[in-house]
Amino acid sequence: MSEQKAIFEARGIEKAFPGVMALKGVNMTLMPGSIHALLGENGAGKSTLIKVITGVHLPSAGTLLLDGTETQFSSPRDAIAKGIGVVHQERNLFPRFSVAENIHLEQLAAGYLKPINYSALNEGARPWLEALDLDIDPATPVSELSVARMQLVEIAKALSLQSRVLLLDEPTASLTSSETERLFTILRRLRDGGTSLVFVSHKLEEVQEICDRVTVLRDGANACESRSMDGIGRHDLVQMMIGRAEGAAAWRHRDTTGQPEVLGLSDVSTSLGHKGVNLSVRKGEIVGLYGLVGAGRTELAKAIMGKFKVTAGKVQVNGKAVTIPNVASAIHDHGLGYISEDRKSEGLILQHSVLANAGVPIWRKLAGRFGALRDKRIHDAVLPYLQKLEVKTPSLNQTVANLSGGNQQKISVAKWLAAGVQFLIVDEPSVGIDIKTKAYLHELLRELADAGTAILVISSDMPEMIALADRIVVMDDYHITGEVTNSGVYDDISHAIMGLIHDAEEDSGAVVPLKEISV
Amino acid sequence: MTIQDINSPPGATGGLSRTRFFLSNEFGLILLIIVFAVIFGLSARGFLSPFNLFTLGRNSAINIMIGLSMMTVIVTGGLNLAVGAMGVSAAMVCGWLIEGLGVPWPLAILGGLAFGAALGFINGWMVVRTGLHSFIITLATMSIFFGAMIFLTRAEAFRDLPAAFSAFGKMKFANYLSPLLLVTLAVAVALAWLYRATLTGREMLAAGASPAAAELSGIRVDRMVILCHMLSGGLAGLAALMLVARNGAAIPSMAGQLGQDWLLPAFLGPVLGGTLLQGGKVSVLGTVLGAFLVTMLSSGLLMLQVGAFWVQTFLGLMLLVAVLLDKARRSYLARRNLA
Amino acid sequence: MIQISRLSRTDWFGPLLATLIAITVIQGFNDNFLSPFNIQILLLAIAVNALVAFSQMIIIAIGQMNLSVGAIGGLAAISFVGAMEVWGLPAPLAVILALVIGVGCGVLNGALIRITGISAFVITLATLSIFKGINLGITEAQPFYGVPDSVKSFGAALLVGPIPWLAVPTVLVTVAMWFMLRRMPVGRFILAVGSNEHAAGLSGISVGATVIIAHAVSGLLAAIAGVLVVARLQIGQPSIGDDWLILSFAAPVIGGAILAGGHVSVTATLLGVVIVAIITQALVLFSIDPFLVQVVLGAMILAAVGLNKLRARQPVGKGSA
Ligand SMILES: Nc1ncnc2c1ncn2[C@@H]1O[C@H](COP(=O)(O)OP(=O)(O)OP(=O)(O)O)[C@@H](O)[C@H]1O
Ligand SMILES: [Mg+2]
Repeated sequence: MSEQKAIFEARGIEKAFPGVMALKGVNMTLMPGSIHALLGENGAGKSTLIKVITGVHLPSAGTLLLDGTETQFSSPRDAIAKGIGVVHQERNLFPRFSVAENIHLEQLAAGYLKPINYSALNEGARPWLEALDLDIDPATPVSELSVARMQLVEIAKALSLQSRVLLLDEPTASLTSSETERLFTILRRLRDGGTSLVFVSHKLEEVQEICDRVTVLRDGANACESRSMDGIGRHDLVQMMIGRAEGAAAWRHRDTTGQPEVLGLSDVSTSLGHKGVNLSVRKGEIVGLYGLVGAGRTELAKAIMGKFKVTAGKVQVNGKAVTIPNVASAIHDHGLGYISEDRKSEGLILQHSVLANAGVPIWRKLAGRFGALRDKRIHDAVLPYLQKLEVKTPSLNQTVANLSGGNQQKISVAKWLAAGVQFLIVDEPSVGIDIKTKAYLHELLRELADAGTAILVISSDMPEMIALADRIVVMDDYHITGEVTNSGVYDDISHAIMGLIHDAEEDSGAVVPLKEISV
Repeated sequence: MTIQDINSPPGATGGLSRTRFFLSNEFGLILLIIVFAVIFGLSARGFLSPFNLFTLGRNSAINIMIGLSMMTVIVTGGLNLAVGAMGVSAAMVCGWLIEGLGVPWPLAILGGLAFGAALGFINGWMVVRTGLHSFIITLATMSIFFGAMIFLTRAEAFRDLPAAFSAFGKMKFANYLSPLLLVTLAVAVALAWLYRATLTGREMLAAGASPAAAELSGIRVDRMVILCHMLSGGLAGLAALMLVARNGAAIPSMAGQLGQDWLLPAFLGPVLGGTLLQGGKVSVLGTVLGAFLVTMLSSGLLMLQVGAFWVQTFLGLMLLVAVLLDKARRSYLARRNLA
Repeated sequence: MIQISRLSRTDWFGPLLATLIAITVIQGFNDNFLSPFNIQILLLAIAVNALVAFSQMIIIAIGQMNLSVGAIGGLAAISFVGAMEVWGLPAPLAVILALVIGVGCGVLNGALIRITGISAFVITLATLSIFKGINLGITEAQPFYGVPDSVKSFGAALLVGPIPWLAVPTVLVTVAMWFMLRRMPVGRFILAVGSNEHAAGLSGISVGATVIIAHAVSGLLAAIAGVLVVARLQIGQPSIGDDWLILSFAAPVIGGAILAGGHVSVTATLLGVVIVAIITQALVLFSIDPFLVQVVLGAMILAAVGLNKLRARQPVGKGSA
């Protein structure tokens, strides 16, 4: 295998953004018939490297070689034409277009005026959907799909190009484990057919499962360059990524039974369709709210925050029944906070600076006479939290949109740390976060809880849930189906949780597939 | 290695903020203003005469105010097509209060401004309640407000206003400075303070940049949007009252059919000044400079006797040249900075 | 049941319902409303206004605005008459010249927007001023009267019954627009760019070419509208196009277009034009104070888009924005 000639090579790639040197002379060599892992912490430059390879960004220096000859891509089209396909980290689908049209857009781009034959388009899309075991009518508009299915459509779109080099930037971030398995089967098949694949993921188990070669980036430079995965263990990977060994904090038993209740829901129904929801979170407790995507967890969180109406039942904060009319009141009057799962549109104001974002919830507190607000005070109030989370930014005045995904997530967490709320809902906290930050984040949430904050963690990531929660409440189809006290033993707890979800699915019978479509 | 520069307090980064200033719209506008002032000063007779400076100042005072009125709504990511209609309506209410009800003029002025703000409230409230883009709402209310105003006034002007009005419009400090310009500058300073250093202003910007994120961070986005529209209405009223002071009468047609004549100045100032049409970013100084540049260009072109019919073409061309130059300058600087 | 709810989700259902109700109510009050003469007047107004609305609609589709629609239409109109009067060009050649000017203006808009990266709003504001200024510079605000008889008779001729010949170009354009946006890659690219420019670029669509094409189409449609107005008025007024702006936005928006781009409906936009025409005509019929016409027009825009919004809200629990 090592005799083979490289299909694609990137040499000494540099990429500068205003104020940031994202890549500082990176090398990567891709072999045919191989799955190449591209690893690194948040902001290490993985996505940037992929964008340089696929013609989105022009490198500031360095060369790209395809089959040994130097090439230049001035646009994504060039790269596609040369057989380089990609699934970017962010979604790039057109919600109002059908699945088939989204899949074939690249091919259509050849001519402007030739009328489109939609039935041929649908037929053409079917094999790619079937390859992914996706049971969707190709004529369905993408907007009607769940996030996970959109992700799969995006992968189908890349597959349909039948490219020789296929780069996948965190393709599994929003997939369930069974969907991931299906994807892997296809990736293996492609590999065996001679395609060269690049796979980016923060989940090292996945990397170890399917990758045969690896490149690690640290701070925009190679920490390891196109090595074989043979003999490299998880610890070595972590060591290369973060420059030291992993310090993952394990689950520890925390007892909060004696503490007063901070938030209590009894028989709550909401305008979104929740019925008879009972939930109680005590001071210093971390409660997990587990469920599959679409179970109504985010919606419940938003209803608690006053974004949607509670139509029946009682909401109690510190034992007093309250009605929360809007989110501002939840935050400022009742000390509740919500870290959104969708940081780009709900968690952060992307075009504003790091400082402005981190300070929003405490502006009111910091405002002086006549509502005067001074940057210095905001700066002093938020800086410790940004430092604690090791936010990587050239300055506090940097626009948040220019930071890497992981760093953005850190800021959306830091702002609630600064706000000092008594009850915090954390929605899918570690989507797209590297292992180091994830460990930090977990430790931080525990510290917060130890200091008395009541925390509700929403996650679809079972290991995360079991590592973090004291008690796990399971939600399915807008109902609470049961509760498990966490013992930290993965097999027992995951079994119990899946049991709760499974029972519920059997009860509701044929209704299940419908609800997946609606969210 | 991880957090560079994070410890330095904001604004204290001397080198960085200076290059940032040279990259800014404001600097570009100042350059353009100087360049054109020199060109006109050398080529157009009387461009620098005290009388011309006085009219230039007075006209720019009004145009800047119109631009600021639009700017306050652009902050929310919206537009206010009804600026003209609202402004004229407010001025007509003021005139009616004086002539129809005999209210003393200072109170009448307040009444007019309050009426402008009330119309703004209607716009803002509808934008919030319907969730429609303000472009549509104000497109409709522009028609409604203007139509109702014309219907109620029977298109007749209020001409018997107290002498104080036109005296203020004609007043000159040091032979060339109009007090109207001072009013405008005072308002501009207040707005700059609002957006830079107050809770309300910051919340307006956050709400405009990303309503969903702002709401989940505890900002009453609805209130902020309504407030922005009210501010816009008040400023539009103020601009119209300044026009009344200049003309000596409150005339229903002073902003053209449906108030459309104001639209061009209303957008030019903020847009040239670097206020993002998507909302969330604002430059008060830029708006002031942008509106001033445009006023100066039209005045200079008239003095050059380009022929009244071609003035509009030249104005458009100069606008284009202005934004192109600005763009070129910034990309040049950005490239040099990177290297 | 399902059929109806599906119907009610389409963009054209609301406007169609509103149109039918408006026609019934107005006819109930005044049976002159559906007289052949009135229908002819309505169709004449619709023929021109639909082109104006489409001219804006295609730009809304790419997520931009074109403030210079009226200025392009006006410039094309006076070039059309001017070429015939001053140079003695035959009418067909003059039409072609006018359309070429329209396309040229559009391409200029698109190219400037693309090359400079400055927002369409600003560029078209500037070119609005330039085109209108050229118009005034050429005409010195005086109309051209030299419209040949062939054009005049085209403008006045009826095809069948009350249907004027002037409606024919509009019908062809409507069909072509529908086909382009539904079935042709270029139309899909326009919608894709409007929906997400970044993603469109990543999918290999040439964003620049698409933007320029959209503006060229917009200019072409504005120019056709300008020529039709000349045929209808039988005179080359420099003020043609001055009052197009509001209408050009109102109709697509009543038709459910999303100003952010990526979604427009040809049928619903046409219905939007029809609604505006009907109401304007009704106000004239009822001899309502002309000053109040504006108020009613404004209220009507609000009502129509409000209804549209209600319809869009119906699917509950979908998204949170
Ligand atoms: N368009 C841009 N403008 C300015 N800086 C950018 C831009 N894109 C990326 N960067 C910077 O380049 C660096 C690398 O970012 P990149 O997105 O490649 O990281 P990543 O390894 O993909 O991280 P993650 O795991 O969080 O996705 C970061 O510091 C980021 O802030
Ligand atoms: Mg990335």
